[in-house]
Amino acid sequence: MDRIADILAALCRVEGVSGAEDAAAEAASIFLEQSSAVQTDRLGNVLGFRTGGQTGGPRILLDAHLDQIGLIVTAVTEEGFLRVGACGHMDARVLAAQEVIVHGSQPLLGVISSVPPHLAKGDESACPDIRDLCVDIGFSGERAAALVPLGSRVTLLTDPMRLAARRFTGAALDNRAGVAAILRCLEFLDGEATCPLTVLFSAQEETGGSGAAAAGFSMAPDEAIAVDVSFGQAPGLAPEEAAPLGCGTLIGWSPVLSRDLSLRLEELAQTERIPFRREVMGGRTGTNADRLQVAGTGIPCGLLSIPLRNMHTGIEVLDLADSEATAKLLAAYVRDKSRR
Amino acid sequence: MNSDWLRKLCAVGGVSGQEDAVRDILLSLLPPEAETQTDGLGNLIVRKKGAARPKNTVMLCAHMDEVGMLVTYISSDGMLKFSAIGMDRKAYLGKRVAVGCQALPGVVGVTPVHLLSDDKQKTIPAAHTLYIDIGAADREAAEALVQPGDAVQLTGDLASFGDGCWKGKALDDRMGCLLLLELLQEDLPYDICVVFTVQEEVGLRGAKAAAFSVDPAYAVVVETTTAADLPDISGAERVCRLGGGAVVSFMDKGTIYPFALYRSAMALAAQHGIPVQTKSLVAGGNDAGAIHQSRGGVPTLAISVPCRYLHSPACVAKEADWAAVAALTRLVWEDFCQQ
Repeated sequence: MDRIADILAALCRVEGVSGAEDAAAEAASIFLEQSSAVQTDRLGNVLGFRTGGQTGGPRILLDAHLDQIGLIVTAVTEEGFLRVGACGHMDARVLAAQEVIVHGSQPLLGVISSVPPHLAKGDESACPDIRDLCVDIGFSGERAAALVPLGSRVTLLTDPMRLAARRFTGAALDNRAGVAAILRCLEFLDGEATCPLTVLFSAQEETGGSGAAAAGFSMAPDEAIAVDVSFGQAPGLAPEEAAPLGCGTLIGWSPVLSRDLSLRLEELAQTERIPFRREVMGGRTGTNADRLQVAGTGIPCGLLSIPLRNMHTGIEVLDLADSEATAKLLAAYVRDKSRR
Repeated sequence: MNSDWLRKLCAVGGVSGQEDAVRDILLSLLPPEAETQTDGLGNLIVRKKGAARPKNTVMLCAHMDEVGMLVTYISSDGMLKFSAIGMDRKAYLGKRVAVGCQALPGVVGVTPVHLLSDDKQKTIPAAHTLYIDIGAADREAAEALVQPGDAVQLTGDLASFGDGCWKGKALDDRMGCLLLLELLQEDLPYDICVVFTVQEEVGLRGAKAAAFSVDPAYAVVVETTTAADLPDISGAERVCRLGGGAVVSFMDKGTIYPFALYRSAMALAAQHGIPVQTKSLVAGGNDAGAIHQSRGGVPTLAISVPCRYLHSPACVAKEADWAAVAALTRLVWEDFCQQ
């Protein structure tokens, strides 16, 4: 698990809030360049064309979104506090007194405001709206306005690190975990000839999936597999709401997804003894698969997910074995298609 | 302000009742001529000779403990249940923590917002539903690493930012500890007695015992106090502000300070050009609440550094305010010595 932990840590240390994925794109490209010719498109998507030997078979696209949720600076007050809006579905409950980095004209340390208890009027359960919060960067209004252009992104600051056993925590595991699984899959395939393989590290999934929609159109692959995170079991969740950490990779089943593709993924997981669970969704999956499926003339899609706790907070937690299982199943699928 | 010392003091854990690591650092940094005594509760009492004997014994005090949690139970799924000490739960929800003496990393988990109703997305979950996840898969795995009673610290490294600001956990009251530690390094005009107290955050328990044994004529508590100088908060509710200088209170939730002492501290500050402010709301409390009631009564003042987001992983304070507290504490102490 050390290798995938290293990849994850490298990817989680850089920022890439939706629409400003540059640093994350650069970090992911360093790994991707080891196996693929890398390009960036007009929306900020990173595209990798695998350069190893090529067999026949379908043109497969593997997608994982690069962006992470965050905040965006909407105003600077006279006293130098930053007003912010959410970029993606940010969890407002965890923001009080959270350390952040403001990606202004230079990276600036900041703290999100927390109203002290004497003003809470005895109601400890009240959670402020994001528009009532502010980021404290310790500068006067004039200095703050000069250092932080409106539109600057803000990320939650938590160093990625290992917990007990095989667990890993960090701030952007949604979806650097998916990016890491694809990069690890490419390492598994090293030296092998495969069918034509395109990697898409997509922009702006958390704000609606426009990156995947555009790249799905321009790449027009024969099929696509999206790799993302899904809900991991934790106290307070019903068994049917979430998958236990450590159960393996989650194979998506949904009207949006190709039944043939999902079935083949399951067969391969069984023959290769890769731990997995079926994850059934009644309609849209809430991932890039929803956009890829209807891109261009339509793309049959599969979906692999990694169970994740505390999604959309600074303390997301996953089990590295699930990441590894996801990477293995992706590699098994590519090999399978390359043999035909 | 010696920021290396502050970093050392803030880096260690000292949740109420487990202040040993803070005391060890203080002991290692005290000048060799200081006489030290650790009492039965863990208070560190330090005395150092000065050029002359003071007319009155003055007790200077800062507390060593910090807010945090104690592990109370390990669930079958390997999660730790806990009891929080001195904290609003929104300050630690969804944050990283460090468990036990080995500072094992853990997180205070939350149900993903995607799975919550609109109402629940805007509600801080009830305290009894919260848990710490250290990555252990079950109770047995967790029990190998943690036991009930282990302290849990907030994590938040000390760092400077903005225009002369510092942020970190436990600035309350390591900033006070640092101030008195630095004062003890100096050649002083009078004998000095400093107490670094335990268990302020659970009801001023260390200070009560220490004030009894020191038996001072006067006391000065060096603290941090809540500043609410934030957008959407105006007037009196701001309490005090960063950059406004030392905070001298006339009253808080635990103490009515002798008005004559309050006024003389304000006058000393004005005379020496030290920026000073008072609290515009009767809020908070500190070791003065116990000290002023000791034995036959001890006239006490509190001089505080204004601090935003007190009792959180990211307290924010300004170095210039700390310097004002240091200057004023020194003057008030000398004044009390000769009263």
